[in-house]
Amino acid sequence: MFDRLFERLFLFVHRRKKAVIGTVLAVTAAAAAFLPFVRYEGNIDLMLPPDPEVTRSLRFLRDSSLSDKIVVSLELTDPAKDKKDLFAAVDQFGASLTPPLFTKVTSGFSLSDVMEEFSVLQYAPQVLGENDRAEIDKKLTEPAVAASMRSIYLQSLRPESIFTSSLNRADPLAIKSLLYGKLRALPASMGYDVSVEEGHFISRDGRHAMLIVQTAVPMMDGQRSKELVAALESHVRALPPYIRADMIGGHLHTVSNERVMKRDITVASLVVSAAFLILFFVMFRDVRAIFVFIIPLIAVAWAIVIATGLEGNLSYLVIGFGTAIAGISIDYGLLVYIAMKRGADSSQMVKLAKLVSIDAITTMFSFAVLYLSLVRGYHQLALFSVLCVALCLIISLFVLPLVLSWKKFEVSTDPAIGDRLKAFRWPVKTSVAVWAALTVFFLILSFSLTFESDVKKLDGSEPAVHGAERKFHELWGGKTNQAILVVEGATVDEAMEKNDAVYREAVAAVGGDNITSLALFWNSAKTRRENTAQWDRFWRDGRERKLRKLIRNASAAYGFSDRAFSPFFDGLYNHAAPQASTEGLISRLQDRFVVTRQSETSILSFFPDEKQQVDAIKAIATKHPGVFIVSGRALSSSISSFTSRELKLLAPAAILFNIVLAWMFFRNWTETFISLVPVLTGVVWLGGIMSLLNIPLNVVSVVAAIVTTGVIVDYGLGMTYEYRYHLRTGTVMAVTLSAATNIIGTGVLLFADHPALFSTSVAMVICMVTGYLSALIVVPSFCSIMGTRTEEAPSP
Amino acid sequence: MTFTRFVQSVALCVACLVALHPVCFSSDQGSEASGMATFLNDLGRKVADFKTLRTDFVQEKEMALFRDKLVLKGRIILEKPNKVVWHVDSPVRSSVLITDKVIRQWDEDTNRVQEISLSRNPVFQNVLNQLTVWFSGDYSSLIGVNTIRIVKQEPLAIEFLPNEKNIAYKVIKKIVITFRDDRKYLQQIRIEERSGDVTAIHFRNTQLNVPLDAGSFEVKGHV
Repeated sequence: MFDRLFERLFLFVHRRKKAVIGTVLAVTAAAAAFLPFVRYEGNIDLMLPPDPEVTRSLRFLRDSSLSDKIVVSLELTDPAKDKKDLFAAVDQFGASLTPPLFTKVTSGFSLSDVMEEFSVLQYAPQVLGENDRAEIDKKLTEPAVAASMRSIYLQSLRPESIFTSSLNRADPLAIKSLLYGKLRALPASMGYDVSVEEGHFISRDGRHAMLIVQTAVPMMDGQRSKELVAALESHVRALPPYIRADMIGGHLHTVSNERVMKRDITVASLVVSAAFLILFFVMFRDVRAIFVFIIPLIAVAWAIVIATGLEGNLSYLVIGFGTAIAGISIDYGLLVYIAMKRGADSSQMVKLAKLVSIDAITTMFSFAVLYLSLVRGYHQLALFSVLCVALCLIISLFVLPLVLSWKKFEVSTDPAIGDRLKAFRWPVKTSVAVWAALTVFFLILSFSLTFESDVKKLDGSEPAVHGAERKFHELWGGKTNQAILVVEGATVDEAMEKNDAVYREAVAAVGGDNITSLALFWNSAKTRRENTAQWDRFWRDGRERKLRKLIRNASAAYGFSDRAFSPFFDGLYNHAAPQASTEGLISRLQDRFVVTRQSETSILSFFPDEKQQVDAIKAIATKHPGVFIVSGRALSSSISSFTSRELKLLAPAAILFNIVLAWMFFRNWTETFISLVPVLTGVVWLGGIMSLLNIPLNVVSVVAAIVTTGVIVDYGLGMTYEYRYHLRTGTVMAVTLSAATNIIGTGVLLFADHPALFSTSVAMVICMVTGYLSALIVVPSFCSIMGTRTEEAPSP
Repeated sequence: MTFTRFVQSVALCVACLVALHPVCFSSDQGSEASGMATFLNDLGRKVADFKTLRTDFVQEKEMALFRDKLVLKGRIILEKPNKVVWHVDSPVRSSVLITDKVIRQWDEDTNRVQEISLSRNPVFQNVLNQLTVWFSGDYSSLIGVNTIRIVKQEPLAIEFLPNEKNIAYKVIKKIVITFRDDRKYLQQIRIEERSGDVTAIHFRNTQLNVPLDAGSFEVKGHV
């Protein structure tokens, strides 16, 4: 049936040579014209599993304002310049960052406003709880009050006392010491190690200032991120020459990743193109070999347009596979070209078409297997690749012969091509024995292969981005990985109330030092109202009178006036409304702790992303609906377990497809087994060699390995077919050239800067090299041992 | 810095940081401002023309906290660029040394030396900066967030009124500095707080560019 269908189609296009070639050229021109308008996505999200935990974490990170900030560190580079110049530059830079790209710039706050906001009588009644009031009660004794008076007197003699006496007058019992525990969250809440001078964030060395720039541009939006970063860089260039700027933020990673990937793909495409052309011209000494080279380019252009039409924006990672796919799908054209060059007759051409088609189908199935995965990026990759391979197959079988047999420039035949390779005989038993020993060796090694689940390792940002971050963290701290405890509620108050309760449990589980929460220094409105009422009852219950008496007795020795502590007593019940000032520090810090979306509010708390803490807090989160954690560690663990679950499905499916297709092709288990030797070799040796080189697998190298099985199975099929039918279509040469092009196409990515492309390349190159060598050496040896040459094909 | 110290510093108050923080005083507009800037720069150059300083002081505090005026007597020793020790002899002996790296303080009452790293205490670092400004004479940095006025010429007295841009605005009402007749150093600093407290520091027996030994900056049991 295949033979008849192929012959009919072949005749059909042969009779319409000009129309077919014209149509191919027209469609290619249209696709090429469309390419500049295609938009690509640079983020890795598409490649991550849709596991509920991963999805929720990513959705949260995307929707929260955490990732929509860029932090800028300005440095004074001229020793002659001082803070005044630095602050002037900060103000100038901050003022230049205007909407719509930049929505808010924070460069510091006023310490005097903070002191007012956190003054003992304003703040303590709202946030001090039962235990704190018990501590105050302990201070209401004669010795304790006497000690407090002595301490205040001694403080009055120090240089700084010029300005602190008014504070002491409002706090005779040093209640502020009880607030330290609450206020200690303030610097930690900033997330950075900052000082504040003249309302500006400044480093300890006094030579750097910091600005936190908020933007409406989502971090994942590659195009707008580019505009954002370009705008920031242009404002940086406008800074005085003695100011240097370092920027950190997710947007810089998005832009840098895209730039690196584009550069890698461009360089790889150029190198591959040049290598292919040189290889073809050296091997064939025929300018028409260029048609073989052009086929994958045409297919890639068509596939991008069709896949974009079906999928929307394609990922750069998927396009990154483009050169590898070009290398893979050039095989079909090569097989056809070599067969024609050897002067294959029509019956051999049909057999060749069958082989080429089964090669393409195995490859397409290896990609199609990715549809069994739940990862959307894999579906995109499968669609794009299947399209590429199918288009290459069709063009190679039906269009290439038309251009090669054009009247004026008919292909010059060279029947000897590839015979030397085929004629070479490897020692049969030795080859099989060495192969078997090495396979066992690598199989044992592969058991110790590790899996890298940290997707941050696939971040390909340029060294400048990482360098700026390293420098930034050395200066400003904030490098420790933090996990986030998220408490959701319908309203701010509801979320804060829930957060108060969850925080208490979290503190009991991991200790107060290990968690930074809004609840530490600013409880829910309900709790604050209750605390204030309790505070009033506490003092009205005779304690105010008692304290007045104790102070009167103790203060005489130090010459304190009768009204020395009147600010305290006058303000004891004079509370402000339990609201944070909209301009105050608490409100500003709420930006970090509170995320409000349309229908819900989330309160965030931060804790070290360490296993012990993550496990303890995760246990608490599971007990409360609407409470969850976002942790890089947990995320990695979810990705790891999801990927291994998927691997258990995808890898057997890919191998099963290969077995079924090989059997359908040969209808014989012996040949089927022999043809699968390269697949077995590629997979087992990949595991062993990666383990030997101490390179872990990751989410992209796993996909690359699965896809490669569909390529190297072709080597086995081709070689077995050649030996079974004793074809003279130059299969050995074709397999060798195809392996060479595949290895060039993927191997060039070994020089890629982007780790995702590099990982892809490592896996594919190992699989292909080992698969090819086994096809060339082991498959003929097995054929020889098992005597598979059952049919003889007629000579051309 | 430790959290406690951060809060202590804050609790010690912005005021301390601010008030010893005359930074950036804004003069009146236009030519008057530029004239004042020139004048302060010239004056600063003259006052700042020393490497070491040793001066006795009498600090008088009229504070609502105390029934009577509190009078402190002691010495200030300064070595440029960033080393100041403040020895109080009466009513209670105490010392505070501030360098660009640490603050070391001692008092007779506890007889303990407490050391605080400046890199961990931005507020004290600010105090040091501001002390350096006042005592070293870099008055140009006071222009900007103060309204500055010359109160009288003989002896020269200059008044600084923090404006709203000044972080001292909420604490300090005004600061008046009075110079010696030769205008080479200060005679008095008078600080009026918004609370009504007034502090005046009178400098006596000021010696410029005197040789100082390491003992000058010892805090424990100073003589």
